[in-house]
Amino acid sequence: MNFEAWKGFNLGNYCDKIDVRNFIQLNYTPYEGNSDFLSGPTKRTDKLMEKVNALLQEEAKRGGVYDIDTEHVSSLTTCEAGYIDKENELIVGLQTDHPLKRGINPFGGIRLCRQACEAYGYKLSDQVETEFSYKTTHNDGVFHVYNSEMRALRHAGILTGLPDAYGRGRIIGDYRRVALYGVDVLIAEKQKDKENLSMQDMTAENIRLIEELYKQIDFLKKLKDMALIYGVDISMPANNAKEAIQWTYFAYLAAIKEQNGAAMSLGRVSTFLDIYIERDIKRGLITEQEAQEMMDDFVIKLRLSRQLRTPEYNELFGGDPTWTTESVGGMGEDGRTLVTKNSFRVLNTLYNLGPAPEPNLTILWSEKLPKGFKDFCTAVSIDTDSIQYENDDVMRPDFGDDYGIACCVSAMKIGKQMQYFGARCNLGKLLLLALNGGKDEKDGKQIAPVGKQFSGKLNFNEVMEAYKKYRNWLCKVYINTLNVIHYMHDKYAYEKIQMALHDTEVDRFMACGVAGLSVVADSLSAIKYASVTAKIGENGLINGFDVEGKFPKYGNDDDAVDEIAVSLVKDFYKELKKTPTYRESIPTLSVLTITSNVVYGKKTGATPDGRKAGEPFAPGANPMSGRDCSGALCSLNSVAKIPYSCCKDGISNTFSIVPDSLGADKKTRVENLTDMIDGYFVQGAHHLNVNVLNREKLIEAMEDPNKYPNITIRVSGYAVNFHRLSKEQQKEVISRTFHERM
Amino acid sequence: MKECKGYIDSIYSGSAVDGKGLRVVVFFSGCNMACPFCHNPETLYEKGEEYTVKSLVNRIKRYSIYIKRGGVTLSGGEPFLQADFVVSLNRELAKNGIKVAIETNGHVVDKNVIETCEYLICDVKNQETDDLTVYRQFLQTCKDCGKKVELTCVIVPTVNDCEEKILALKELKNEFADTVFNLRLLPFRKLCVEKYKKLNKQFLYENKEECDKLLIEKLNQIIQE
Repeated sequence: MNFEAWKGFNLGNYCDKIDVRNFIQLNYTPYEGNSDFLSGPTKRTDKLMEKVNALLQEEAKRGGVYDIDTEHVSSLTTCEAGYIDKENELIVGLQTDHPLKRGINPFGGIRLCRQACEAYGYKLSDQVETEFSYKTTHNDGVFHVYNSEMRALRHAGILTGLPDAYGRGRIIGDYRRVALYGVDVLIAEKQKDKENLSMQDMTAENIRLIEELYKQIDFLKKLKDMALIYGVDISMPANNAKEAIQWTYFAYLAAIKEQNGAAMSLGRVSTFLDIYIERDIKRGLITEQEAQEMMDDFVIKLRLSRQLRTPEYNELFGGDPTWTTESVGGMGEDGRTLVTKNSFRVLNTLYNLGPAPEPNLTILWSEKLPKGFKDFCTAVSIDTDSIQYENDDVMRPDFGDDYGIACCVSAMKIGKQMQYFGARCNLGKLLLLALNGGKDEKDGKQIAPVGKQFSGKLNFNEVMEAYKKYRNWLCKVYINTLNVIHYMHDKYAYEKIQMALHDTEVDRFMACGVAGLSVVADSLSAIKYASVTAKIGENGLINGFDVEGKFPKYGNDDDAVDEIAVSLVKDFYKELKKTPTYRESIPTLSVLTITSNVVYGKKTGATPDGRKAGEPFAPGANPMSGRDCSGALCSLNSVAKIPYSCCKDGISNTFSIVPDSLGADKKTRVENLTDMIDGYFVQGAHHLNVNVLNREKLIEAMEDPNKYPNITIRVSGYAVNFHRLSKEQQKEVISRTFHERM
Repeated sequence: MKECKGYIDSIYSGSAVDGKGLRVVVFFSGCNMACPFCHNPETLYEKGEEYTVKSLVNRIKRYSIYIKRGGVTLSGGEPFLQADFVVSLNRELAKNGIKVAIETNGHVVDKNVIETCEYLICDVKNQETDDLTVYRQFLQTCKDCGKKVELTCVIVPTVNDCEEKILALKELKNEFADTVFNLRLLPFRKLCVEKYKKLNKQFLYENKEECDKLLIEKLNQIIQE
């Protein structure tokens, strides 16, 4: 292949087969400087943002949902073109015909879709109801097959957040392919693959894949039609920077029109786009100001992405997140940095457009990142609390240098790997299940095999033995549940456009997760090092614990308890690997909660660490709030011990520090935060959300929402506008440890 | 040789307000003074945990990658009261490439200790006295050892926020201009009330007013004029 559009690019393997990484490696310009070159917003951008802000205010006023299109099932070509301000937009395309209007997507399950409409005072149209009464949804399929154990675990909240009624998400299409090759090449390549497969033995697996390829090709054609609705022909490669951004955005837009997955991440596009920007600047076609303006416009579009959710969903994933995660920076396998000027530009949108939770800007941090970029990132954290950090040095050996983060912390090679999102298991409830002989501690139902009911003083070895027994049982049911979910998702809600932007043969992960790590680590520590007595209530179940004496608590860099936390995840992971997985997916594990740590806590009885019934868990792999009291570095060190080698779906740590405690002035704060992040990651830690703020500010914001209307904070692998959290979630965030030394 | 023991109240990892850069702060137990505004009374009334130099160095080394630009600050209590321990601790930390600052009340002058640290932070207690002689002696020794000093002073409204007291501090700084690299005024806070309650001790300055940022800024201007 060679195209006029590639003039000026170094040619290589990518000309013979789809290989975006190769194109990047041959053509990008690493940038080692600082942020001085950046441009502010143009008048046009400011004006457009005024309109966007007015729309956002109206959305908030209307209870969080601006409008719902209840007539058209959301897909690539079911809606007319939509604009914020047609004459003044550089990059075009919206999910529906009006900004912030949400589409409906009943393929995951019609019931949830109906409920979501009703929750906001809308009614799903009769036509859609009728059409879907003849259709099996993903949700139908799953419940046709779930067994009694699976239903019970789901009902009790031991397995929660399972994607069995909505899109599973966490799949990143390689949206850049559309810009680099144009859609026609992608169709031709898929047709070739399909032809080859159809000549092989027609096993069930092969037939499934061939049918999927049919769907992929069909949707690539629809992608072209979708762009034509906006008067743009994307059959051929993008000719310049503006087209490259537009083509890439159209591909992403198609994905979020087709799928309502919890996390619909963007991938790693900034450095790819920089190649086009650099070429245009060299050719004298655009200025730095214009390059920034295009990126600003692109990001405005990404900020408008919306999906329709139910209020119950919002409890698990508070703040209306979309996880439009963009991975920025990192180092290349050849030792050159992948930081380009466009890595700075995408971060600069937080200044030009104001702080915002989306896109979920994720810095791939390496010890070797250029100093100018490190300092700019930490300055952005201090100023906006909007970005997160993930350790490129621990991910690159596994995922190479062209991976992206899906959702919060899940790494995958772009276009080559995908994952089956498996939500998570509540470890706190698992421990209580073990202590209550397989009964749910809340309602006394026997939901697991019968075992010994514990009472009186707890013996560590006995408790561990029971815990292991139930854990092993749970891991097996967990994997089997996920197998059912993803079989049905592939069958009834297959991601056609996203998978069309993958290689035909992909690696798959079965992404499991745990919540409540610190609760269980501290509980076991209490049983081991202090004296814990289980109190029995009238129903014969444990209704509380008496703890006497001191015990080491996770979060203080004390190996006595931190090692318990380490073995909890190690052993859990080992056990997960014992059950066969759907499509031979590779089991992985995350320690992540999103904002569901509040709901998990609510659903979990009192635990032996002294946590009362209903009290929130700590988010992700965080120490329990207020228990990590030996300083920020001790807290970081404890979390850094959780081994990435058995948690390759990510280990989330959300960290809050008071500005004054980071130093007296901005320069010092930047230096100190950079040192903190460097020190944390050098030890092999995986993820860090950074908030630099005062608790008092959040309390004020909670009491008077008008005072800081745009206050953005990192919660757990993503950022939210603080006001979009529920009161309970806000209170939990306020109760977290704010590292402070005055 | 008998192994030297130190008595430590607590260790705080990751402070950015106890010296240059990120620091690990070691709070020593025991003090030669009993200031009515003391914000670490636990170091005064409790024995502390016993450490050997080795065990403390091992603890600190866990944070060595964070504190390359910063270091360790020995605070308290009064570290100079445990001079032998501090000297061998500092030598051991130096072997590991870790820099040490000592925060002191300046009343116990010990050349051996001063020589083993990078620099010193001396808190001037002018709240109940106008006599700063003891600090002159301390600063002279630091000067002789070629060590720099940052002076700090806790400002308690109505107690030591008057112009004369501030000018006296300024004079002290100017007198040792080549030794004192900074004079930092700290706002009096009452976060320690709970600690006194827990210890069942009286917090003598409990009824004094906390100092706000504006007052500090105003007083800083006097120093800069």
